[in-house]
Amino acid sequence: MSLALPNSGSESLAAVAEPIPPAHTSRALRHLRWCLTRNTIRSLLSGSRLRLSMILVCCAIFWAGLFGLFWGGFEFMGMNDALFNGIFEYLFSMFFLSILVMLLFSTGIITYTALFHSREGTFLLTMPATTDRIFAYKFAEAVGLSSWGFFLLGSPLMVAYGLTMHAPPGFYLMFLAYLVSFVLIAGSIGAMVAIVVANVFPKRQRMVLGAAALATIVGIIVLGIQVWTTPGEALRGDWLSKVQDRLAFCQHPLWPSRWMSAGLIASARGEWPRGWYYLMVLSAHAGLCYLAAAAMARDLYFRGYSRVQGNRSARRRLGFYAVDAVFHRAFFFLPRPVRLLILKDLRTFRRDPAQWSQFLIFFGLLGFYFMNIPRLGYAVQLPSWRNLVSFLNLSVTALILSTFTSRFIFPLLSLEGRNFWVLGLFPLRREQILWGKFVFSVGIALLPTELLVSLSDIMLGMGPLMIGLHMAMVAVLCMGLSGISVGLGARLPNLRESDPSKIAVGFGGTLNLLVSLVFIFAIVTALAVPCHLYFLGLEHPEAQFALSHSGFRLWLSLAITVSLLIGAVGTILPLRIGIKAVQRMEL
Amino acid sequence: MIDVHGVTKRFGSKCAVDRLDLEVKAGELFAFLGPNGAGKTTTIKMICGLLAPTAGTVRIGGFEASSLAARQLLGYVPDQPYLYDKLTGREFLRFVVEMYGLDPDRSARRVLELIDTFEMGDYVDDLCESYSQGMKQRVVFASALVHEPRVLVVDEPLVGLDPRSARIVKDLFVQQARSGCAVLMSTHLLAIAEELADRIGIVDHGRMLATGTLDELRSRVQHHGPLEDLFLKLTGNLRPDVVGLPDSSMKTQHAGSRS
Repeated sequence: MSLALPNSGSESLAAVAEPIPPAHTSRALRHLRWCLTRNTIRSLLSGSRLRLSMILVCCAIFWAGLFGLFWGGFEFMGMNDALFNGIFEYLFSMFFLSILVMLLFSTGIITYTALFHSREGTFLLTMPATTDRIFAYKFAEAVGLSSWGFFLLGSPLMVAYGLTMHAPPGFYLMFLAYLVSFVLIAGSIGAMVAIVVANVFPKRQRMVLGAAALATIVGIIVLGIQVWTTPGEALRGDWLSKVQDRLAFCQHPLWPSRWMSAGLIASARGEWPRGWYYLMVLSAHAGLCYLAAAAMARDLYFRGYSRVQGNRSARRRLGFYAVDAVFHRAFFFLPRPVRLLILKDLRTFRRDPAQWSQFLIFFGLLGFYFMNIPRLGYAVQLPSWRNLVSFLNLSVTALILSTFTSRFIFPLLSLEGRNFWVLGLFPLRREQILWGKFVFSVGIALLPTELLVSLSDIMLGMGPLMIGLHMAMVAVLCMGLSGISVGLGARLPNLRESDPSKIAVGFGGTLNLLVSLVFIFAIVTALAVPCHLYFLGLEHPEAQFALSHSGFRLWLSLAITVSLLIGAVGTILPLRIGIKAVQRMEL
Repeated sequence: MIDVHGVTKRFGSKCAVDRLDLEVKAGELFAFLGPNGAGKTTTIKMICGLLAPTAGTVRIGGFEASSLAARQLLGYVPDQPYLYDKLTGREFLRFVVEMYGLDPDRSARRVLELIDTFEMGDYVDDLCESYSQGMKQRVVFASALVHEPRVLVVDEPLVGLDPRSARIVKDLFVQQARSGCAVLMSTHLLAIAEELADRIGIVDHGRMLATGTLDELRSRVQHHGPLEDLFLKLTGNLRPDVVGLPDSSMKTQHAGSRS
């Protein structure tokens, strides 16, 4: 054994502490990123090719699906020249403005976590790198994580638009430069907000996030009311023109979203001077915003870090023990250990705004759309059309629920992580842990989805039978999706990871989402087909496959039986698999 | 080398460190003792430039603790070491070398020397995600020493180390100090402090209760028993109550035996 000794003071302190050129640390951080990327790709290729192929195939399907959707939409709009020329700039401006807000939020949150709450951030701050270099390294990561979805959504949109407009080949390169510049603007502003929040509200970051989410929801509601109260018949020319007047704010010349829409439309038309002009405006602002964010990080990152770290230990949480007592009384029929586990998960859920705020925003937007159904004129349409819309609304609700269960319920068991032995040593059967999580998930899911689906049906003027059927379907879907997420979460846990979003996007989470989609498709198809054929028969008795009243009864009974069977299998089978896995799990 | 002068750190209304003074000279091994929540880690974070003091000054080798110059002089081993899961131990050491802008040939020799010292040859080319706690701890020690720091700050040095690795680390601390490095070690293990430290500082409720050699502390408190009793006397004066202990008179007896 040999011991490494320090250089015994031959160099003076001033010589040792001589500043390291910033280029050195930048190069080291770039090399670190390269090594991490290379090793991650090698692990992916050597570890689980199935997972990698599945991710790539899913991305390709998603991209192709979006491309088809956008292309079809643009072709449809292209049938009406007046509509085609007038509405695109508004559509793109609104779309990019929404994306700007979303990217600002997501990059801001990721940057905040990476700079002020991650162990890597702490480690890098002990290194001799300037804070703006550390910021640059973490910012690149945050922008990559927050914007890949935008590229997945934006690229098929632009390709479809380019094809519809018969854009020159240069457009397809140009739009990529536009997207990159746009992402940098939104990300830099988000990062600046994150640094300001850390410095000004080190104890109140979640309150700030909640307030910002609330402000966004209020903004969307105000916007919706504007559209709602527009006089005229919906989707007609005069109505659209009045809507455009009310949405004129999105065309303000200082919005980056406006530069995007104007520049992209000009480029697609081959108007290169205008296209280059807007690209330069965008890229110059992207550079300016990034420089401002880096300067802010140089001066305020350490101060913010110190304030955030310093204030963490002084925080106290309200227990809401009265709520606990009410819960125990209300669910007296559940075993006490199960009730305690549910309360633990409920408390975690309540204290994590990332969970309930997303839930609130998605279901809030859906509720807002359902309330707008009479404005869209669906209620006066033919019964088969209303029936179709009601099933589509139910499907959308179930799809959003499946993203919720994949993102938040699937990782629940993994998040017990290294502390799982604590639960494992409790005096309760291990399957009770899963039942607790199952009841928690069903309880959280049932209330909003039942409310939403009944609201949609009432707004569509559906009869009591259909409302009852849809509510029962939603209950089956809630149980099935919860069973799948809890069961697969226990079968494919990732006990090493503490970030639920990373668990959700892993192999288990992706598989969970796919199984959930198949489950929703099976249940909805089983019930929607006989209902649609029945309503079709009411309007066109001569139509092929149309069902009579007696035929409908028979097929509906059969469909209900099949969907209950699918629901039972979808709930019990994954739970049984999960229970077996948990029972075999070594602590 | 480490000069903490009149430092106070407040977290809202809570005072974690209260007008604390501390000096560790070059070539000295200083053990920092205190009960849980006494303010040891907060003080160490201020020394490493991770927290800004509410009042007072912290200087490393004459430089302000949060400055880049101070960070170049400092090697820090936290109580919860951080490694990149998708780097190998060797890649991690090379990254640290690059960050400090060291001469490539000299640092390559240094890396090899440290791999040998900490007996990491068997696993240093595996990804860190596969390491045990002790393996991680050894890599972190090596990374803290790779740039030949003039100040070594270690929070709970022996967590997760097997007896052989613990021996290596203990010998290393002594040798680092003897070769001119200022070593500050925060620990709960009084035996290590007793065995290794040139001077000991005992902190409680954010205040430095006493500093000095073990003999100086003993004579100051008029106590000549083991360090554990000295520590308890300084921080609470009595052995703690153990709930459910059949003989509750133990505490009284012990207190009586000291007087």
